[in-house]
Amino acid sequence: MSRRSNHKAKQYLTGYLFVSPWIVGFIAFVFWPFLQSIYLSFTRYNIVSPAKWVGAANYRMLLTQDELFWKSAWVTIKFAIISVPLGIVAGIALALLLNINVKGITAFRTIFYLPSIVPTVATSVLFIWILNPTIGLINRVLALAHIQGPSWLNTAPWAFYSLVMMSLWGVGGSMIIYLAGLKDIPVHLYEAATIDGANALKKMRHITLPMMTPVIFFNLVMGIIGSFQYFTQAYVIAPNGGPQDSTYFYSLYLYNRAWKYLDMGYASAMAWMLFLVIIVLTGLVFRTQKKWVHYGG
Amino acid sequence: MEAKTALDSGKLKIWLIWGVALLITIVVFASGHSTPRKYPERKLVRFWHRWQGDWEKQVQKIVDAFNASQDEYEVVPVSIPGSGADAKFILGVIGGDPPDLMSMGSGAVPNMAANGFLTPLDTLMTADEKTRFFRDSYPAIRDIGMYRGHCYGVTIGADLMALYVNDKQLREAGLDPNKFPKTLEELEDWGMKLNKYDSKGNLTRLGFLINDLAYFSHYFGGGFYVHDDGTLELNTPQNLRALQAIVDYRKKIGFENVLRFQAGLNDIEGAASWAFMHGDLSITFDGQWRVEELRKFKPDLEYRVIPIPPPKVGGTPLGALVGGNYMIVPISAKQKQGAWEFLKFWSGLDNPDRAAAFYNMGGWLPYSPAVAKSPTFQKWLKGDRQFQAFLDILASPNCKAPPPIANLQFLSDLIDRAEDQATRGAETPKQALEELETKYKEESAKRRELGYDE
Repeated sequence: MSRRSNHKAKQYLTGYLFVSPWIVGFIAFVFWPFLQSIYLSFTRYNIVSPAKWVGAANYRMLLTQDELFWKSAWVTIKFAIISVPLGIVAGIALALLLNINVKGITAFRTIFYLPSIVPTVATSVLFIWILNPTIGLINRVLALAHIQGPSWLNTAPWAFYSLVMMSLWGVGGSMIIYLAGLKDIPVHLYEAATIDGANALKKMRHITLPMMTPVIFFNLVMGIIGSFQYFTQAYVIAPNGGPQDSTYFYSLYLYNRAWKYLDMGYASAMAWMLFLVIIVLTGLVFRTQKKWVHYGG
Repeated sequence: MEAKTALDSGKLKIWLIWGVALLITIVVFASGHSTPRKYPERKLVRFWHRWQGDWEKQVQKIVDAFNASQDEYEVVPVSIPGSGADAKFILGVIGGDPPDLMSMGSGAVPNMAANGFLTPLDTLMTADEKTRFFRDSYPAIRDIGMYRGHCYGVTIGADLMALYVNDKQLREAGLDPNKFPKTLEELEDWGMKLNKYDSKGNLTRLGFLINDLAYFSHYFGGGFYVHDDGTLELNTPQNLRALQAIVDYRKKIGFENVLRFQAGLNDIEGAASWAFMHGDLSITFDGQWRVEELRKFKPDLEYRVIPIPPPKVGGTPLGALVGGNYMIVPISAKQKQGAWEFLKFWSGLDNPDRAAAFYNMGGWLPYSPAVAKSPTFQKWLKGDRQFQAFLDILASPNCKAPPPIANLQFLSDLIDRAEDQATRGAETPKQALEELETKYKEESAKRRELGYDE
């Protein structure tokens, strides 16, 4: 008995030793800063001087005196509401198309996946050119049909929707996951449905979509988290959130507060508010999964 | 036989894996030492700057001249992209590995100084240098680097704006460039005459445009200031008139039309792509560095530089707001003295005539009249006469520095936002300025509540 427990302890030790570089790294570079930022959110802190305790002042100011906080939060929520469902629909549609067995399908899959591995900054710069109102590709194509395209990134409603459109550019990443989900659906379900006389639409409604719900659920959660942390594209295209604050995303405002105005305490409070919102939303989505996610497969 | 082949191929795979691993290791470690040292025995002075393209080459020449001039220090320059430069600098300071010298946007200097990131440069100056610096500098250039009585930034790249005028296009439009408008209102009329449109009414050439409220307000006797006693000069009649003028003129041309036209311009600084060079702009408001660009890339262009005429009523001639690149020394820099020696060398505090050549390389404004009057600078000026307009503005009492306040960046963002809101028609100029002042007051109140002294 004791030899067996010794052996088990040794096994545990070996296991922990193997994962220890990650554990040490996680504690030092993620968990400890995470805890620190809770403290910092209750302080006035500029990085070089010691933090000074201000109680809940940062939170109070955020909620009661900072118009830009609410504005940027709304921009972000609006983005999540529009871009997440749009990304799911586009991802599934693309996966369904790329699941058809035609000649050269692997090449098509590669082509649609490629944009998602292009660095975000490069994609953003590319879109600045594509969306240029005078010399951009989109407006030139629209001009062929005698339509004057809008000033995409320079006018208030269009700039926001341009970023939503840009988010679809990287849909290839989730498409691959949907495709894997589609491949995982047992063929006998479709065979049984065919025997029962189900048409393609019914198969989609009663087999494909229900069987895909675990993958949709995963992408929904990741999509919500990603949308609430949306930053790089907005920073590259409009670092001050213009025009008219229409692209002033929450994370962009947080960054400006931290690095431009050197208000790290305030920015930490913002980060914690964001964390709480993401946790609550993710929790809500998890609570709904019993009603619509089917794990039988 | 087959077994032997399989064994060989297995060995080959192992060797291949080891080879790739070794290659990656070499690349990773070799790239870790990316600072090239020409004089490894000397004290290293690390210099971060934000110049790129042709300017980066000029900076390298100045660094080379310094390194060749003495044998104690070696300056190694690194070009940092402007957008993330300040964040990199902050990380460098907190990580204990900052540069020894850095060129920083002037707007960030007071905030960095207030938060204790910067070394007061007057602590590095000798008594004689201090006297010369405070006595000889152009007032606006000196003031912009000051915070609470100390100098935290010395410029070698201050920026001013004036009108660049395409003589040929003026004559073609029946306007005599020698009888240039004396008032802003006349200039606006000229601008409208110089505009060109295509058959659909889209602008194809822009005659003249006014923007940049923070700068432009100085022609109306205004400016955005927060004084030591807490009094504000933000929502003033002068600033309101300046914003109204910007909005009214923009309306005349058409906001959307200008937006589309400007978006189509390929306008990279420090290169041969400036729209004025290619005739897309007839009269344009731009910085002094363009003189050198025109000399290099478009020497045959017939143009002149004229300070913008003030408005008919209540105008201020030669008004300006200085900005640009300011050299700072981080508080935790390892080689402060070396940084100061290099800064002295470049700025010309110790030898104005030698430094004049450096200012000329990048088309930069000198820090003092002593440099401007030096034989080398005067000789260069004969070839680039248009630069004189900027020196006239710099010497004017109406040429001002922005307020030395810790939240200058916040104020600058508010000014930009007010201009944007008003020109887009989302708010009237009056509403935009009222909102600006209210927001500034709110932010100041928040800062005071958090324990900041301003």
